[in-house]
Amino acid sequence: MEFVQNLPFISIILSLFSGPLSSVLDGKKAKRVNIAVISIIGVMSAAVLAYVVRTGKAFVYMMGHFPAPWGNEIRVGVLEALMAVFFCVIMLLSMIGGVREREIQIEETKQNLYYVMVNLLLSSLLALIYTNDLFTAYVFVEINTISACGLIMIRQNGRTIEAATRYMIMSLLGSGLLLLGICFLYDLTGQLLMSNIQAAVRALDASGQYHIPLLVSMVLISVGLAIKSALYPFHAWLPDAYGYSTLSSAAILSSLVSKGYIFLLIKIFYRVIGFGIVRESKVIHILFVFGIIGMIMGSLSAIKEKDIRRMIAYSSVAQIGYIYMGFGLGTLPGVIASIYHILSHAATKSLLFVAASGLTDSAGDSTDFSDLTGAGYRNKLAGIAFTVGSLSMVGFPVFSGFISKLLFAQAAVGHEIKMLPTLIALAISTILNALYFMNTVIRIYTPERRRGNEKQRVVPLREQPAKSAALVCFIVLNIFLGLSSEPIIEMIRTGLGMFM
Amino acid sequence: MNGWILIPVFLPAAAGIFLLLSSFLQHLREVKRHKIARTQAEIEAESADLKKIHILTAAVLAVSAAVSLAAVWSGDKEVALLYLMKGIPLYFKVDAAGRLFVTVVSLIWTAVCAYSFAYMKHEGEERRFFGFYLLGYGVLIALGLAGNLVTFYLFYELLTLTSMPLVLHNGTRESIMASLKYLFYSMCGAYMGLFGIYFLFRYCGTLTFTAGGSLDMALVQDNRGVILIAVFSMIVGFGAKAGMLPLHAWLPAAHPVAPSPASAVLSGVIVKAGALAMLRTIYYVVGPDFLRGTWVQYVWMTLTLLTVFVGSMLAYREPVFKKRLAYSTVSQISYILFGLSLLTPQALTGALLHTVFHAVIKTGLFLTAGIFITQCGKTRTEDYAGIGKRMPWTLGCYTLLSLALIGIPPASGFISKWYLAQGALDAGAGVFRWLGPAVLLISALLTAGYLLPIVMKGFFPGKDTDTGKDTDTNIDTDAGTGKSQEPSVWMLAPLAICAVLAVVFGIFPNPLIQYAEHIASAVL
Amino acid sequence: MNAIIMIIVVLTPMIAGVLVPVLPFRNRRQMMFYIEGAVILTSALVISMLVNPPSDSLILFRFTGDLSVSFRLDGLGTVFAGMVALLWPLAVLYSFEYMEQEKKEKYFFAFYIIAYGVTLGVALAEDILTMYFFFEMLSLVTLPLIMYTLTSEAVQASRTYFYYMVGGAAFAFIGMIFILNYGTTSVFVPGGVLDMAKVGEKTDMLLVIYVLCFCGFSVKTAMWPMSSWLPKAGVAPTPVTALLHAVAVVKTGAFTVMRITYYSFGTELIRGTWAQNLLMTLVIITIVYGCSRALKETHFKRRLAWSTVSNLSYVLFGVVLMSPLGLIGALCHMVFHAVMKICAFFCAGAVIEKTGRTYIYELDGFGRKMPKVFVAFTLSSLALMGVPGLCGFISKWNLAKAAVASENPLAYVGAAALLVSALLTAIYMLTISVRAFFPGRDFDYETIRDVEDPGWMMLLPLAFFAAAMFYFGLHPQTILNVFESIGAVMP
Repeated sequence: MEFVQNLPFISIILSLFSGPLSSVLDGKKAKRVNIAVISIIGVMSAAVLAYVVRTGKAFVYMMGHFPAPWGNEIRVGVLEALMAVFFCVIMLLSMIGGVREREIQIEETKQNLYYVMVNLLLSSLLALIYTNDLFTAYVFVEINTISACGLIMIRQNGRTIEAATRYMIMSLLGSGLLLLGICFLYDLTGQLLMSNIQAAVRALDASGQYHIPLLVSMVLISVGLAIKSALYPFHAWLPDAYGYSTLSSAAILSSLVSKGYIFLLIKIFYRVIGFGIVRESKVIHILFVFGIIGMIMGSLSAIKEKDIRRMIAYSSVAQIGYIYMGFGLGTLPGVIASIYHILSHAATKSLLFVAASGLTDSAGDSTDFSDLTGAGYRNKLAGIAFTVGSLSMVGFPVFSGFISKLLFAQAAVGHEIKMLPTLIALAISTILNALYFMNTVIRIYTPERRRGNEKQRVVPLREQPAKSAALVCFIVLNIFLGLSSEPIIEMIRTGLGMFM
Repeated sequence: MNGWILIPVFLPAAAGIFLLLSSFLQHLREVKRHKIARTQAEIEAESADLKKIHILTAAVLAVSAAVSLAAVWSGDKEVALLYLMKGIPLYFKVDAAGRLFVTVVSLIWTAVCAYSFAYMKHEGEERRFFGFYLLGYGVLIALGLAGNLVTFYLFYELLTLTSMPLVLHNGTRESIMASLKYLFYSMCGAYMGLFGIYFLFRYCGTLTFTAGGSLDMALVQDNRGVILIAVFSMIVGFGAKAGMLPLHAWLPAAHPVAPSPASAVLSGVIVKAGALAMLRTIYYVVGPDFLRGTWVQYVWMTLTLLTVFVGSMLAYREPVFKKRLAYSTVSQISYILFGLSLLTPQALTGALLHTVFHAVIKTGLFLTAGIFITQCGKTRTEDYAGIGKRMPWTLGCYTLLSLALIGIPPASGFISKWYLAQGALDAGAGVFRWLGPAVLLISALLTAGYLLPIVMKGFFPGKDTDTGKDTDTNIDTDAGTGKSQEPSVWMLAPLAICAVLAVVFGIFPNPLIQYAEHIASAVL
Repeated sequence: MNAIIMIIVVLTPMIAGVLVPVLPFRNRRQMMFYIEGAVILTSALVISMLVNPPSDSLILFRFTGDLSVSFRLDGLGTVFAGMVALLWPLAVLYSFEYMEQEKKEKYFFAFYIIAYGVTLGVALAEDILTMYFFFEMLSLVTLPLIMYTLTSEAVQASRTYFYYMVGGAAFAFIGMIFILNYGTTSVFVPGGVLDMAKVGEKTDMLLVIYVLCFCGFSVKTAMWPMSSWLPKAGVAPTPVTALLHAVAVVKTGAFTVMRITYYSFGTELIRGTWAQNLLMTLVIITIVYGCSRALKETHFKRRLAWSTVSNLSYVLFGVVLMSPLGLIGALCHMVFHAVMKICAFFCAGAVIEKTGRTYIYELDGFGRKMPKVFVAFTLSSLALMGVPGLCGFISKWNLAKAAVASENPLAYVGAAALLVSALLTAIYMLTISVRAFFPGRDFDYETIRDVEDPGWMMLLPLAFFAAAMFYFGLHPQTILNVFESIGAVMP
C-alpha cells in the first residue's frame, strides 16, 4: 500500500481534530490553523487525485484491518478526489473572501468557535465524499447539519437564529427520512457497506422480491437528501439561511454543503442501489419534474427579491433544480452534466456571494437594491466579479455556466421524451436568470442620481486585499472551468466509471 | 452606334441638374447673408440672370426636341445602355408607339415652355421650375424610348419624382400636401405595377417590348390565375398615374395648386405616361390575347367607364376652374383606357388618337386657365362672367378647344370618339358593346355642360353681372370698360397653336389615323 | 499557414480595443490616429484575406471534446466580412466628429472596436458553436455602447436589449444543441448537415426546434414579435445605432439565420412544411408592422429604427423562401440595406450632433441649411423605397424574383408585402425630405440660422455611401456574381 492511499483518511482526521484544537486557541490563531488545514488538505487531495488518475483505478482503504461487514471503509476514485480538491479550493477562497465580515459580524469571543465549525464541516464533507459505508455517511450527515447550523447562527441576530432553527428542523426531518431509508436498506440486505449492498440489491431485483420496500427506501433517501439540499419545494429554509448568515457561511453553505448531500445521493444511486434499478423506478421522473419546476420557480422568486443576498440565495434553488434535472434524465451524460454543474455552480455561487459583499461594502453594508445603484463604479473589482458570475449564471460562453448548460442540453437531446421539456426549460430558465442577474449588473453600473446617501462610499482595491485576491482567484477559476472543461469532464467520466 | 438618340434624355437632364444646383447655391448665398431686402443692383442682376436661364432652357429644349424628332423619325433603332442585372439591360428602342409619344411630348413641351417664360414671372423660383421642367422632359423622352419594362419602370418612377416639385412649386401648405398626395398615389401605383413586373419577368422570360406580347405559354399553363391577378394589379397601378378609379384622387388635388404650365403638362402629357404604361404592358408584354374575355378585361372596362362617368359628373359640379379641368382629365384619360381595354384594333386606334388629341386640347385648356388666373386673379368659374370682353382671343381659343373636347365635328375629339365607339360596338364584350358608347355619349354631354357655360357667360355675361365694380387686385377699373386684357404674345401663341391643332387634326385626320391603325395592326 | 490570418483579423481589433482605455494618449488626435489606424489595418487584413482566401480551417481553442472555436472562410462569410470591413473604418471616422463633445469616449471606442472583432468572428465561424459563441459575445460587448449615455432611458433600453438578446440566444442554443447531436458534423456545409438516420421519424420535432432556433437567432434581427428592443436601443450614440443596430448586430442575426437554415438544418426538409409557412407569416407581418410603426413615429432615429425592423425582415423573407434564389436575394438586401440605412442614420446623427434636434417636426427647412446631409438622406430614402437606379431596387427585385419563382402563394403575399412596405417607406422617408427642402413659403430661416453642414469626417462617409448606392444600383452584377456563386453551391 502506498503512502498516498492514507491521505484521504488523514485529511478527514486532520480536519476533525483541528476542530477541538481550534476551540482552545484564540480567534486569530484559529483562523491561521483553519487556513493551513484547508490548504494542506487541498494539497493532499490533489496528490490523491494525481495518484488515482495515474493508476486509473479506485482504491479502498480499510480502517483498522476490519473487513466487511464489521469494518469501515474509505473508497477513493477519481471523482471523489476531484470533489475533495475542488471543495477545498472553494472553501479556502470563501474563507479568505469573508475575513472582514467575520471579524465584524462575529463576537470576539466566538471567533474561534467559528473555525471549529468550519473544520468540522470540512471533515464531514470529506467523509461524505469518501465513505464507502452508509452508516458512516449518516453520521457525518448529522455532523454536517450541526456544524452548518452553527455557521448560520454564529452571526447573532434575530434573523439568523430564526433561520438556523428553520434549517435545523428541515435538516433533521431530512436526516430522519434518510435514516429511515438506510434502515430499510439494511433490513432488506443486512449490509452497510455500499458495495455489499449493491450486490444484495441486485440479487433482490433479479429475484423480484421486496420490490415495494426497495422503492420505499429509495423514495425515503431521495426525499431526505432533497430536503437537505433544498430541492424545490423543500427550499423554504434556504433564502434566510444564506441571506442573513455571515459571508463565508453563505458561500460555503450554498456552494458546498448542499452539494455534499447531492453528491451523496448520486453515490447512493450509483453505488448502493445501482443506476439501472434507479432508472427503472419512477423516482427519477419525480426528481426530474421537481428539478425543472425548481429551475423556474427559484428564478421567479429571485426576480421578486429586492435584497441582493437573498436573490443570490434564491438563484441557488434554481441551480439545484438544474442538478436534479440532470440526473433526473437518467442517462450517463445527464449525471456528468449534473456533477459538472455541482462544480461550476459552486465556483460561481461563492464568487457571487463574495462579489455581492464587495458591492454591499460600497453601499454601507446595505443589501437593498436601491442602495447598490452605481456600486460597480465604487468597487470596481467586485463589480467585474459580479458581472462575471452573472454571465456565468446566464450561461455565456467563456464562463463555466455555459459548459454546464451545454452539457445539460446535450444530455437532454439524447433522451426521447424529456428532450423538448428540458431544452425549453433551459431556455426559459436562462432568460429568467438574465432577468435578475443582468438587471443587477446593469443596476450596479447605473450612476447614482440621488444625492446625499452618506452610506455609499468608494471602496479602493487595496482596502481588502484578501477579498480582492479571492475574487481574482474565483474569476480565474470560473474562466478556467469555462475554457478548458475537457480534462475535468474526462475525470468525471472516468470517476463515474470507477463507481461501478 | 445609336447612342445619340439618348441625347434628348441626357442633355435636358444635365441642364436641369445644372439649373437646380445653381438655384440651390443661390439659396445658400441668400440664407447666409440673412438678408431680406435686396439692393437695386441685385435686382438687376437677377433679371439678367433670368434672361440667361430662359435662353439656356429654350436652347436646350430646342436642341433636344429637334434631336428627339430626328431620332424617332429616322427609322427603328435600339441601344442598350448598360446591364442592370443578367438579362435586364437598360434598353432603349424606337418603335411606332414610342415615336408617337415622343413627338407629342416634344411638341407640347416646347409650346408650354414658351408660355411658361411669361407665366413663371408671377410665381418666382424660375431656376427650380425650369430645372425640373427640363428634367421632366428628359425623363419623358426616355419613357417613350424605353425598350423594356424595367427601363420603362425606372423612368416611370423618375417621372413621379421630377414632376412632384412642379406641383409644390408655390410652396404653400396646400400645395405641399397635394404634391405628397400625388407622390404617394403615384408610388402606390408604381409599386402595384412593379408587383406585376415581378411576375411577368418570370413568365415572359424577357421584358423587352414585343408587339403582341411575349408570355411563355408553357410556363403559364398552371399559373393563369396568378398572372391575371398580377396583370390586374398592374392595370390598377398604372391607372393611378392615368387617374383611373380607384386611384384617381391625387389628380384633382394636384392640378389646381400647380402653376398652370405645370398643370398643362401634367394633364396633357404626364398622365398619358400611365396610358402608355398600360399600352406597353398589355399590348407589348402580356399580349391582348391572354386577357381577352377574362375577368380582368371586364373589370378594367367597368373601371374605365365608371371613371369616365364619375369624372365628368364631378367636373360638372366643380366650381373651381382648374379643378374642373382636372376632373375632366380624369374622365378623358379613361376614354383612352377604355379604348385600350376593349382589345380591338379600332378601339386601340381610337385610344391612340384620343391620346394625341387630348394632349393638345387639355394642354390648351390649362394654358387658358393660367391666363385667366394671371390676368384677373380669379379661380372660380362664376367669376369669369364677361371675361370674353376683355380677352376675346383667349376665350376664342378656349371655345375651339372646348368644342374639340366635347367631340363636335369637325373638331378632333369627334374622330377619336368615333373610333372608340366603333371599337366598342365591334368588340364581343357583351353588355359593354352598348354600355360603352352610351357612357361616352353621356360624358360628352356632361363635357359640354361643364365647358360651354364659361364660353357663354364669358361672351354674354348678361345685364345683371357687373364686372366693372370689381376692385380686386388685378382687375383695374378700366376692365369694366372692356379694355383688352389679353396676355403677351408668348402666352397667347402656344394657346393658339393648341387650339388650331385641335381643329386641324379634326379636319385632316387621315395621316394620324393611318399611323394609329398601323400601330394597332402590328399588335393585334 | 495563411489560415492564421483569420485569427489575426479577429483578435487585432479586440486587442486594440482593450488597449484604448489603457494607453496613455497625449491628446485626442493621437487617439484618433491610433483607433482609425487599428481599424484600417484590420480592414486591410480582411480585404487581403478575402482576396487571397485561406482554404483550410483553424482552431482557436477547444471547449470540450470536439467542440471548439474554429474559423474558416467561405462564400457567405466573405460577403459578411467584406461588408463590415468596408463599413467599420467609415463609421469610426464618422464617430470621431460625433463623439467630439463626449468625455468617456475612450470607453466608447474601446467597445466599438471590440465589436468589430466579434462581428468578424461571426463571419469567419466555421461551425455552429463558434458562431454561437461570437453571437453571444456580440450582445455583451454592445451592451455598454447602448448604456453609454447612462441616462435612465439608456439604462432601461440596455436592459430590454439584453433581455431580448439573452432570450434569443437561449432559444438559438436549443437549435445549436440539436445540430451538434443530430448532425453529421457541426461544421457549416451548404445544404445542411442533418443526419437523417438519426432524425428518423422525428421530423416534427425537428421542425419545432428549427422554428425555436430561427426565432432565437432572429431576435437580433428584431423579427416581430421580438422587435421592440431595436427602436429602444436608439438611445445609443448614433454611430452605434447606425453601424451596430442597422448593420453589424442585426445583420449578424440575419447571417446566423442564413447559416442555420442553409448550412445546418438544410432547406430540403423545411421547404413546404408548416414551419416555413409559420416563419414566413411572421416575417411578412414584421415587414408591414415595422413600416407602419415607422410611420407613426415622430422621433427621427426611432423612425429609422422601425424602418430597419421592416427591412431586416426583407432579408429574413429571402431566407425563408428556402431556395438558392432566396438566399441570393437575402444576401443582396443584407449588403445593400447596410449601405442605405447606415447612410440614413448618419444623416440623422449629423442633425442630432449639430443641432440637438431629434424630432422630425423640428426639421423644417433643414434642407437649405444642411444641403449635403439632406441630399444624402433623400438619396438613401429613394434607395430604400426601391427607386430603380439605386441599390434598393436591385435587392427588392432579387427577393421578388425568388418569391415568384418559389410558386408558393404565401411568397406571393410576401412579394406584395415588400411593395406595401416600399410605399410606406416612401411615405415615412420622403415626408422628412419634403419637410426639410420645402418648409413652406412663409418659413423663417432665421429660426435655424446656426444650422450648417458637418465637417469632412462626417461627410466623407456620406459621400461614400451615396456613391455606393448608385454603384450597386447601376452596376450590381459584379457583386451579384458573388452572391450567385454562393447560391450555386447549394444543392
